[in-house]
Amino acid sequence: MSDDGKKWFKLNLNSKHKQESSSACGCGKTSGGCNSHQKEDFNEEEFFEAAVDASIGDERKKDGFDQVFDVKMNRRSAFKKLTASLLIGAGAVTTSCSVTTGKDDKEKAQIDWEEQFKGNYKLMTDDEKSGTVDRLVRSYQLRTGKTISMSSKNAAEDVLFGYAFNISKCQGYMDCVSACVEENNQDRNSQMQYIRIHEMDNGKGFNFNEADDNYYHEVPAEGHFYMGTQCFHCDNPPCIEVCPVQATWREDDGLVVVDYDWCVGCRYCMAACPYDGRRFNWSKPEVPEEEMNRNQHYLGNRMRKKGVVEKCTFCVQRSRAGKNPACVEACPTGARVFGNLLDPKSTIRWVLENKKVFRLKEDLGTEPKFWYYMD
Amino acid sequence: MRRLNVFASLVRDSLDIITHGTKKYHLWMAFLTFIMLIGMYCYSIQLEEGLSVTGMTDRVSWGLYISNFTFLVGVAAAAVMLVMPTYVLKDIDFKQAVLIGEGLAVAALIMCLAFVVADMGGPSVLWHMLPGIGVFNFPNSMLTWDVIALNGYLFINISIPFYILFRHYQGKESKKSVYLPGALISVFWAVGIHLVTAFLYQGLQARAFWNNALLGPRFLASAFAAGPALIILVLAIIRTFTEFKIENKVLKKLALVVTIAAQINLIMLVSELFKEFYAPTHHSESAYYLFFGLDGKTALLPWIWTAISMNVIATVILTFHKLRNNLKVLYFACGLLFVAIWIEKGFGLIVPGFIPGPYGKIAEYTPTGIEVGVTLGIWAMGALIFTVLARTAIEIETGKMRYKKKER
Amino acid sequence: MALFISSCKHQENEYHSITDKIEAKSKDYHGVSVSSEPYFGDIDLIKISEDGQSFLIPERKGNIKSYACTECHTKPLKQMQSKDLKKAHWNISIKHAGANTMNCITCHSSNNMDDLHSLTGSKIDFNKSYKLCSQCHTEQFKDWKGGAHGKQIGGWAPPRASLTCVNCHNPHNPAFSSKWPARFNTQKIKERK
Repeated sequence: MSDDGKKWFKLNLNSKHKQESSSACGCGKTSGGCNSHQKEDFNEEEFFEAAVDASIGDERKKDGFDQVFDVKMNRRSAFKKLTASLLIGAGAVTTSCSVTTGKDDKEKAQIDWEEQFKGNYKLMTDDEKSGTVDRLVRSYQLRTGKTISMSSKNAAEDVLFGYAFNISKCQGYMDCVSACVEENNQDRNSQMQYIRIHEMDNGKGFNFNEADDNYYHEVPAEGHFYMGTQCFHCDNPPCIEVCPVQATWREDDGLVVVDYDWCVGCRYCMAACPYDGRRFNWSKPEVPEEEMNRNQHYLGNRMRKKGVVEKCTFCVQRSRAGKNPACVEACPTGARVFGNLLDPKSTIRWVLENKKVFRLKEDLGTEPKFWYYMD
Repeated sequence: MRRLNVFASLVRDSLDIITHGTKKYHLWMAFLTFIMLIGMYCYSIQLEEGLSVTGMTDRVSWGLYISNFTFLVGVAAAAVMLVMPTYVLKDIDFKQAVLIGEGLAVAALIMCLAFVVADMGGPSVLWHMLPGIGVFNFPNSMLTWDVIALNGYLFINISIPFYILFRHYQGKESKKSVYLPGALISVFWAVGIHLVTAFLYQGLQARAFWNNALLGPRFLASAFAAGPALIILVLAIIRTFTEFKIENKVLKKLALVVTIAAQINLIMLVSELFKEFYAPTHHSESAYYLFFGLDGKTALLPWIWTAISMNVIATVILTFHKLRNNLKVLYFACGLLFVAIWIEKGFGLIVPGFIPGPYGKIAEYTPTGIEVGVTLGIWAMGALIFTVLARTAIEIETGKMRYKKKER
Repeated sequence: MALFISSCKHQENEYHSITDKIEAKSKDYHGVSVSSEPYFGDIDLIKISEDGQSFLIPERKGNIKSYACTECHTKPLKQMQSKDLKKAHWNISIKHAGANTMNCITCHSSNNMDDLHSLTGSKIDFNKSYKLCSQCHTEQFKDWKGGAHGKQIGGWAPPRASLTCVNCHNPHNPAFSSKWPARFNTQKIKERK
């Protein structure tokens, strides 16, 4: 078959090497329009470098075996990265000091003050919400000289988000994991990932204990099937009950979200979640400026602080705008279905009504809005 | 106005007392201060770098801090073992010991709060929890119950001894009608704080190891063993180093309390072990990890088996009257029991709750140096607070410190 | 006692289960204000209706490099298969079912290369090639129509647009092949040591 002929929309699935480029998306478009091509302003190769660096860094020249067992290298590269980030940080401080005027400093201090003592986002009026969003955008501008767009869009009427995952289709490519990290500005140093893909042995059922969620070999592997987990956005989420300050709650469209600025970092919600849906920023999260996704939402992918909990939000910045979450869009096999549970004509409803669906740990009464099905 | 004067004088006198003492006393205080400074240094690193300097991960998201918190709640609750007979049942034996017990409770509670704060990711926004200016998720979150319970208990345990000491300081007898209601409340409250703390874990359907009905009662039993055991040790120290008279009778009565609690604790342990291992299910994996290791991961094995053997040895020693009545043996047994329960109710309870994770993944937890430093610092702070409180109380109770009595 | 009454966790949940909630709340569904249309980009979409389900799929003919086929295939296939003519499509090998089951003319109409044809010989437009696939892959067809198989274009919001079979599967070699995962998490290894 001809690769450059583009007679059909090719998904770049047939390469036997590591994936050629993260810009291959499943949307069927060769350029533009589709959102996984957002970063086309720098060329493919640069982008590839950046993406590979971000995910595996110095280890990319080694195979999986080396990466696992050569810890010294890991530590050294981690140290290198740390020094580099310190240098960058020092540089940022000096530049910001020399460039900013006294007026800017004053404004910065004012913003910091107001941000430190603002209320819980859940209880804010719409005006207050847009107020804090404006402050955050301005603060980012003052600090980095770059602009971001941040939304405070509320849940829409007649929307309840739901998700279905086809375990017969998932091949374990982990494109979703990659897309998620890039979309949601997750900390690169700790390699935080919301999604886990579990490689299970055929014939052993859903045996998570023996499953491997960090494989690195050609997939799909013989005799295995793959199952993805992430936050299930339970309808009766145990995590929000336990939060002492209501920093996490369920929105009207079913998304379970966190106000990163209200979270006190007690991690009670992490202990309460039966699905490993929550992540904690053990140190200050860092995303290289050029990899930053600037399309943000207050409750979604805006930059987090150290010492707060974060989680999958079904990409609130995308889903509330009508788009699919990044993982759904990135999946090359169509194993992920997302939609509005209240729309009787939606595909997610069709899946629920026509396929044999099940959920994980249903006996806990958490009512996840994340279903699994098979062909 | 007069009261304020008395209070100011009390503070002045007690400051005077606690800054003077024998060489040993000064050494002890210097040692504690030194450890506290180390702890503060470690905590400053933690504040700067974030909790990544601890051994905790997304898998094991609570560690040494919360373990110590849990254990110390038990120690604080145990003060009730002294309060109840003294104030309510008019058992004169405990009267002298009770102030020490409550002082211990105060120190333990302050340590509890310090451990919780040390564990927070954002201590600078803790005001979010204050009702009124913040959002207090009551009654849904058990953590808010715990905040109320702990602070309430702290208040009770500060106010009752303070009232009594304040009266004695002025050379008056304390009025029963004033402190008795408080004492009665504190009896229920003590049981409350420990149950509520147990419910903190017990209410999580996600963690099968904790989600078991015996957790609360076992908390109580172990607390009523470890707490008085510590009190016995502390009284023994006070007896040797100060003129505060504590009769053998008091220690022996306390020993009886420790013995019974330790026995009940052992019975519950057996019941727990039976449930986990006679017909093990998927939910027994945490227990397997704790007692036998899972998938070659055995970090907790030496700890828990040390704890259990110490626990059994101590309980056996205490069970025999002859051994228990020998004070040296009693102290030894109490020390064993205290350490055993510290391991079991701290490390042995919190860490296995997270292992294996929700999807069976095992990431073991080992505290880092910084974590240990902060922990030791908080313990040193607790010891310092207790020393200060105990010295003041002892001086008042022995009549050395009195209002308008210039010579000491 | 008060603890048990006041901390009842289901107070705000008037529904017994999520399915009840979905059922009750979708009864008076009025549609949503967001739309997928801005995200379709420059793809030409055509509307199809199959068994009461109608949605958009990408137009096909415009994306085939050498369409219309009759520009070369001026004569029926049999007459063109001679040795003198320049070879075309030589690189296409069929890895779809077996040689017993399929060859080129199972789908391509040898008489009119601009169209496809069904097993019984009736004409199928290139734009509706899914009709060809659905002859054998009936289950997949059913799932695709419903939305359980395949991928959406744009977003979840209406109007619904889905990729068609050949957007993901090469009809001559429809299976997905293996590759390396997109990421490897070295941090996880350290954590679980």
